[in-house]
Amino acid sequence: MAARAAPARAASVPDLWEEITREVAAGRRFAGLMGTRRRDGLALSVHLAVPGGIETRQAVIPPGSAGFPALTPRLRAAFWYERELHDRFGIVPEGHPRLEPLIRPGPRALPRHVTGPGLFTIAHGPVRSGVTESVEYLVETPGEEIPHLNLRVFYKHRGIEDRHEGMTTADGVLLAERTEGIASVAHALAYCHALERIAGVEPPWPAMLVRVAHAELERVACHLDVAMRLADAAALGAATARLGLHKERVLRLVSRMCGSRFGRGVVVPGGVSRLPLLGPAELLAEAGKLEQAIMADAGALMGTSSFVDRLRGTGPLPPERAAEHGALGPVGRASGVRDDGRDARPYDAYPSLGLGRPSPHDEGDALARLLVRWDEVRQSFHLLRQAADELDEAADQPLRRGCEVAAGRAAGWAEAPQGEVLYDVSVRDGRITRCRPRSASFHNLVLMHEVFAGDILTDFPFIEASFGLSVAGVAGLCGHCAACVTAWSPPGGPPGRIRMRPPCAARPR
Amino acid sequence: MTGYSWALAAGLALLGAAALLDLTAGARRERRERERERREREAREAWLRAAPYLLGAAASACLAVTGAGALAGRAVRVGGAAGAGGGAPATTAGGLLGAGHGWLLGAGTGGLAADRLSGLFLLIAFGAATMVSLAFASWAAHTGPVRRGLGAGYALCLGAVAVVLTATDAFTLLFAWESVTVAFYLLAGFDRDRSGRPAAALVTFAFGKVSGAALLAGLLLLADRSGSLALASFGSVPAGAARTTAQVLLLAGFAVKVGLVPFQVWMARGYAAAPGPARAVMAGVAVNVGFYGLWRTLAVLGPAPAWLAGLLLVLAGLTAILGIAHAAVQQRLQQVIGYSSVENTGLILAGFGVALVGAGIPDEQLVAAGLLAATLQVIVNAVAKSLLFTASAGIEAAGRSDDLDQVRGMARRAPWSATGLAVGSLTLAGLPPASGFVSEWFLLEALMQQFRVPGLGDRLVLAITGAAVALTAGFAGVTFVRLVGMVVLGPGRHGPGTPRAAGPGGQDRRVPPARARQADLSGLPGRIAIVLLSAACLGIGAVSPLAVRVISAGLSPVVPALATRGALRSPWVLQPVFSGFSILSPGWLWIAMPALLACVVTVALAASGGRLWRVRRVPAWRSATAGVEGAGSYTAFGFANPARRVLAGVLHTRAQTRQVSPGDQARTAHVGYSSDIIEVVEEYLYRPVLRPVQVLARQAKRLQSGRLDAYLAYMLIALIALLALVTALR
Amino acid sequence: MRGPATLTGAGAAPAHAGLAGLCPSGAISSGGLTIRLDQGRCVQCGRCVAKRPDLFAWSSGPGVAAPARQALVVPEMPETPERLAEARARLRRRTAALRRSVHLRHVDAGSDGTEEWEILALLNPAYDVHRLGVFFTASPRHADILLVTGAGTAGMAGPLRRAHEAMPEPKLVMAVGTDAVSGGLHGGGDGACGGAGGILPVDVWVPGSPPDPFSILYGILLAAGRLPGGAAAGPAPSRAGDGTGRRRR
Repeated sequence: MAARAAPARAASVPDLWEEITREVAAGRRFAGLMGTRRRDGLALSVHLAVPGGIETRQAVIPPGSAGFPALTPRLRAAFWYERELHDRFGIVPEGHPRLEPLIRPGPRALPRHVTGPGLFTIAHGPVRSGVTESVEYLVETPGEEIPHLNLRVFYKHRGIEDRHEGMTTADGVLLAERTEGIASVAHALAYCHALERIAGVEPPWPAMLVRVAHAELERVACHLDVAMRLADAAALGAATARLGLHKERVLRLVSRMCGSRFGRGVVVPGGVSRLPLLGPAELLAEAGKLEQAIMADAGALMGTSSFVDRLRGTGPLPPERAAEHGALGPVGRASGVRDDGRDARPYDAYPSLGLGRPSPHDEGDALARLLVRWDEVRQSFHLLRQAADELDEAADQPLRRGCEVAAGRAAGWAEAPQGEVLYDVSVRDGRITRCRPRSASFHNLVLMHEVFAGDILTDFPFIEASFGLSVAGVAGLCGHCAACVTAWSPPGGPPGRIRMRPPCAARPR
Repeated sequence: MTGYSWALAAGLALLGAAALLDLTAGARRERRERERERREREAREAWLRAAPYLLGAAASACLAVTGAGALAGRAVRVGGAAGAGGGAPATTAGGLLGAGHGWLLGAGTGGLAADRLSGLFLLIAFGAATMVSLAFASWAAHTGPVRRGLGAGYALCLGAVAVVLTATDAFTLLFAWESVTVAFYLLAGFDRDRSGRPAAALVTFAFGKVSGAALLAGLLLLADRSGSLALASFGSVPAGAARTTAQVLLLAGFAVKVGLVPFQVWMARGYAAAPGPARAVMAGVAVNVGFYGLWRTLAVLGPAPAWLAGLLLVLAGLTAILGIAHAAVQQRLQQVIGYSSVENTGLILAGFGVALVGAGIPDEQLVAAGLLAATLQVIVNAVAKSLLFTASAGIEAAGRSDDLDQVRGMARRAPWSATGLAVGSLTLAGLPPASGFVSEWFLLEALMQQFRVPGLGDRLVLAITGAAVALTAGFAGVTFVRLVGMVVLGPGRHGPGTPRAAGPGGQDRRVPPARARQADLSGLPGRIAIVLLSAACLGIGAVSPLAVRVISAGLSPVVPALATRGALRSPWVLQPVFSGFSILSPGWLWIAMPALLACVVTVALAASGGRLWRVRRVPAWRSATAGVEGAGSYTAFGFANPARRVLAGVLHTRAQTRQVSPGDQARTAHVGYSSDIIEVVEEYLYRPVLRPVQVLARQAKRLQSGRLDAYLAYMLIALIALLALVTALR
Repeated sequence: MRGPATLTGAGAAPAHAGLAGLCPSGAISSGGLTIRLDQGRCVQCGRCVAKRPDLFAWSSGPGVAAPARQALVVPEMPETPERLAEARARLRRRTAALRRSVHLRHVDAGSDGTEEWEILALLNPAYDVHRLGVFFTASPRHADILLVTGAGTAGMAGPLRRAHEAMPEPKLVMAVGTDAVSGGLHGGGDGACGGAGGILPVDVWVPGSPPDPFSILYGILLAAGRLPGGAAAGPAPSRAGDGTGRRRR
C-alpha cells in the first residue's frame, strides 16, 4: 500500500485548475472536488484517479472572497461539484453555466430548456409510484418523446458530512455504512482504507479475504436488484419473481455469514470484526448453487427477445461523453471507460486474486449495461470462490491490526457495485474533523441528462433502472436545522440567486 | 294546395323576409344620448340582430312540418303544372309527382314538390335548422356589433337548401345548388379581414363550382337523352355509356359537397372560416343536400356499375380514416369538428356503398340495410354536428380563442356550451347509449353482410371498408376524449398545471369574468337550442324503433318500406334487416344502464352505512413541489402526440429538434422542438397541379388585353365557331 | 434473523459503570439501578453485545413492532402492558374495515436505501405478501397504510404531509426502520431529521436498521389487527429477554 502523502498544494485556484486540466488531458480521471472551511480560508481539494491510487491537489481561497473562477467551463465533470460547493459554502463559481441550488430547495420555477408548441413539463416525484427512493425528475416533453430532463435531488439530504465531524473514528464506520445502505460494505471499505492509510497499517490476510467475500456478495445483490427492476419495468412477472428470490438468497447468505443482511458491522478499521459464521466449504457450496441458479435465469432472461428489444438502443451514453466525464462503474464500462478500481488501484486481497477478463460490451445502451453487470456477477462468484479457497487455508491469524489514528488526512477508495466510492478523511486528536464521502451515484447521476436521445416516456424506467444508482448516495449538507435550508434572496438581488446563512455548527454529541 | 304546401311556401317566404330584414337593419345615427337611452338602444339592437334568425327559426319549423307532412304521404306542391296538383302521392320507388314537360327552360313548368324522400331530408335538415337558428339568434344578440349580411347569407343558405330538397326539375335543382355554393362563400368569407379566411372562402367556392359543373354536365346529359328536364324522367334513359357517365358525374358532384376523398380539402377550413353558428348551418343543415342528392341519384338512376360501387366504398373508407386522423391531431377546436365531418362523410358513404352493391346484385334487403345505416348516420351527423358547432361557438365566444390550449376547463366558464360539447362528443364517438352508437352499430352490421354478396371483389372491398370503419371508430374515441377531457373538464384558466406559470400572478385581466359568462349563448333561445339538440342526440337512440319506421317511410322511393322495416324485429329490438344475424335494443339499454347505475349506487350507499356522505375536501394530490416554467400537465398538443406518432403514415408527421439560442420566447431555451403534419391529398394531388394551372392562368390573362378591337374580334370568333358547331351537329 | 439489541435481564447493579458512551446513537441510558435500552434508537451496530454480553443480547424473531413509541423501550414500565393492550385494541377498532386486505403506500423521507430493499423483498416469492391480501399501490387515494422510511428530512416533510392528507380514512402510518422511528444516527435533539414522528402521527413503530422483511410484515399485520392473541388475549408478550422464553426462537 502506498504511503500517504500530504495533498499537493497549488498557489492559487486558477493554477490548480490549470494543473487539473493538464492532467485530465494527459489521461488521468477527475474523481471529485470538495471544499473544507479552515481558518485560512476555504480549501478546495481535487481528487484525481491515477494508476495506482488517488491524488489530492489543493488550493485555498482566502477569506473574504465571494467567488472563484469556475472549473466547469474547462471540465464539464465538475458541474455538480461546484453547485454543491455553492450551496454549502455560499461561494460563487464565476462562469458556471447553471448555478441553481442542487442540494437545497431552489427557485420556484425551473427554467425551460426546450421551446416549441405544446411542450409541457411532467414533474415526476419525489413521491413516485412503486417503492423507490425520493428524487424528482422534471421531464420536458411534447407528449411522448423526451428532449430534455432535469433532476431535483435535494429531497433526501440528511447532513451526513456534518454528522461525521466530531465523531470518533470507530463511530465513523457506522455512519459510513449508512450513507448509501445498499453499498454498505464498499463505503465501510473506502472509509477504513482512508484510516489505514493515515495509520500506515495493512489488514491481515484473512481479514482481506473476508472483506473481498462480503464486497463481492454485495455486488451480486446489487446487480440482481438492477436486473430485477429492469424485468419489473418490462412487466415480466416470472423473471422479477425469480431474480427477487435469488437476491433474497444472497442476502440470507450474507446474514448467515455475519448476522446482518447487508454485511454491516463486518469491516472495521484495521481488519474485520469476525470470521464468517459459515465455514469456507459451506460457503463454497452455497455460492456454487446460487451461481448456477442465477446464471441459468440470466440466460433465460437475456434470451427473451421482447425484453432485450426494449433495452437495445435505449438510453445511449456516447463513449466520448463517458470518457470526458469519467463515468464510473458499469455505466462507464458499458460505454468504454474500462476503469475498475479493483484492477487499476487494487486494494485488500485483489492484487493476489485473479479478476478475469473485463466485459467486452461497450455499446453504451441499457443492454450493454445489463450485460456488463451479468459479466461482473460471474466475475464476483469467481472471486468469491478464490477467497473462500484461500480462507480455507488461512491459519489462525489475528483479524485486525490496531488502527489508532491521532491526526492526519488521506483518501480511501473502494469499488462499489455502482462504481468507485471515495472517502477523504481528516482526523485530529482521534476525532474526525472532515469526512467527505463521494459515492459513485453522485458522480454518475448527472449523466442522466444526456442519455435521452430520442427515447419516449415508456423507456424512462428502463434507463433509470439501468443506471442502478442510489439517491441516498447523493448525500449533503447540514440537515438538522430546518432553518438553515430556508432559501432567501436578498432584496434587490438578481432573481433566483439564493444566498445562504453560514452553516450552523455541528451538533455536539 | 294542401296545408303542407302552404307551409312550404310560408317557410320560403319567411326566409326571404329574414334576408330582407338583415340587409336593411337600421343604420345607426350617431347622436348624443343618455345612459338609459343607450341601454334601450342596445336592447333594441340586440333584438334587431336576433330577429332575422328568429324568423329563420320559424321558417325552419314550417319547413320541418312540411317534411313531416310529405313523409306521412300528404301532397306537397308549390307551383308547377295545374294538372299535377293534388292527387294521390306516389309511393312506388322512383316516383315523383309532376309530369314531364318541354325541355325548354323549365321555369314555371317545374315547381317544387316533396315526396317521401324529400320529406325525410326536409325533416332532418330543418329540424336541425330550427334549433341552430335559435342558437344563432342568441349568439347574434350577444356578440359584437351589427353584422349586416350574415343573416342574409344564412337565409339564402336555408332557402337554397329547401329548394334543392324540393326541386322537381334539373334547372331548379342547379339554380338552387349554385345558390348553396354562393351562400357558403358568403358565410365562409364573412370575416374576410381575419387571416386565412379569404383563402378558405375561395377554396370553398372553387370546390362548390366544381361540384356544380359536374352536376351541370351530368344533368344536361341526362336531359338530352331523356328529352325533358324533369328529374322523374331521367330514369327512362336506356343503360349505356351516357347513363353511366351521368351517374359518375352526378355522384362526383354530390360527393364534392359532402367531402369525399379527394374532395375533402375544403371542408375543415371552410367550416372553420365561417363565424359562430354559421358553421352549424353549413355542416349540420346544408351538407344534407349532398346526401339527398346521392339518395335521389340511386332512386332515379337505379343500380350503378359494380366498379363504381367498389370505388365508392374504398374512397369512403379512406375518407373516414383520413378525417379522423386529422381530427385527432388538430390544435384548433373548429378544425377538430370540421375534420370529424369528413370522417362522418366516410361512414355515411360506406353505408351508401353497401346499398349500391346491393342494388347491383340486386338484393333489396342489402340495399335497405345499407341505406338504413347511412340515413341513421345522416341524422346523427346533422344533430350532433349542429350541436358541436353551436357549442363551440359559445366556447369560442367565452374563451376568446379557438386554440385548444387556451379554452380549457370550460365547464365552469361556459357550462351550457360545455355540456353541449360533451353530449355531441359522446354521440360522435359512438358510445352507448347515445344515438351515435346505434348508427355505427347498424353500419358495421351492414358491412358485415359481405358474406351474402356473390362476387369476390365486392366481398373484399366490403371487408376492407369494414376494417377501415372499425379503425375509425377507435380513433374517434381518442379524438373526442381529448376534446371532452381538455376543453370541458380540463383545469380551469388558473388551476394547477395551466399554460400560465403557476402562482398568484397569473390573472387574466383582459376578460372580466362576468362578461365572459354572458357571451356563452346566455339568452333563452340559445339554451333551449342546446337542450333540444342534446335531447335529440341522446333520445334518437332511445326511440330508434320509431326512427326506423320514419326512415323506412322516407326511403320508400328508393327501397320498399317493407324491406327497411325488416330491421324491426320486435317493438323494442332492432336487427340489421337480415334476421338471425344479431340484435340490439337501444331502448332497453336506456333503461338498463341507468337502472344498473342506480342499483350500484344504492348498494354502495347501503353497505357503507352512511360513510359515503362524510366527504372531506382535499386538494388534488400532486407529489411535486414547486412549479415549473410553462405548462405543468398535459397540453392538448401533448395529448395528441402519441396519435401523431402512431398515424405518422397517414399524416406524414415530421418531428425535429434543433439548437436555438436563448431568445424572447424562453430566456434559457437551448433546444427547439417542432412537429408538423401535412394533408396528404392536398400535398400530393393538388399542389403539383396548382403550378401548371397558375402558369396557364397567367397565359390566359394575356387575353384580357383591355383593347376594344381584341374583344370585338373574340366575339366574332365565338359567333363563327358556334355557327359552325351548330351546323355540324344538325 | 437478528433484531435490535435487547437486555438479557441478568446484569447486576455495579456492572452499570462504563455504559456511558457505549451506544453511538444514544439508545442506552442508565439511571440509578435500571438500564433502559430504547430499541427505537438501536442501529444494530453490535457494540453493546460485543462489549457487555452479560447485559445485552440480540433480540430474535420478527415481533419487534409496537403500536406505541414507549413500548419500544426495554424493560417495559410496569404500566406498559396495559397501555399496550389498550393501544392495540384502539388500533384494531380503527382498522376494522381493513382486516382482510390492506393497501400500502410507501414514501421515502430520507432513508439510506436498505429499507426500500427490505420492503420490496415482501413481494418476492420468499415472503409473497399478496397471499395475505397485502398490496402496494401507487396512489395515496387507494392506500390504507402509509409506510414511512428515513429520518424525515426537511425536503420531504412537505411531500410526506401531502401524501398523508391525500389518503382517505381510515388510514395508518407506519414508521419503518430506526431512522424513521427516532432518526437513528442522524437524529437531532432539535427535531429535524428526528424520524417520521415529528412530521406525522405514527401508529405503528418498526425498529431495525434495517428491519428484516418478517419484522415489517409483523408490523403490517399488527396494524391491520390480524395478529392472533390481540387485545382479547391479554397483554402483549414481553420483549425483554428475561427468561420468559416466549419470544426467543
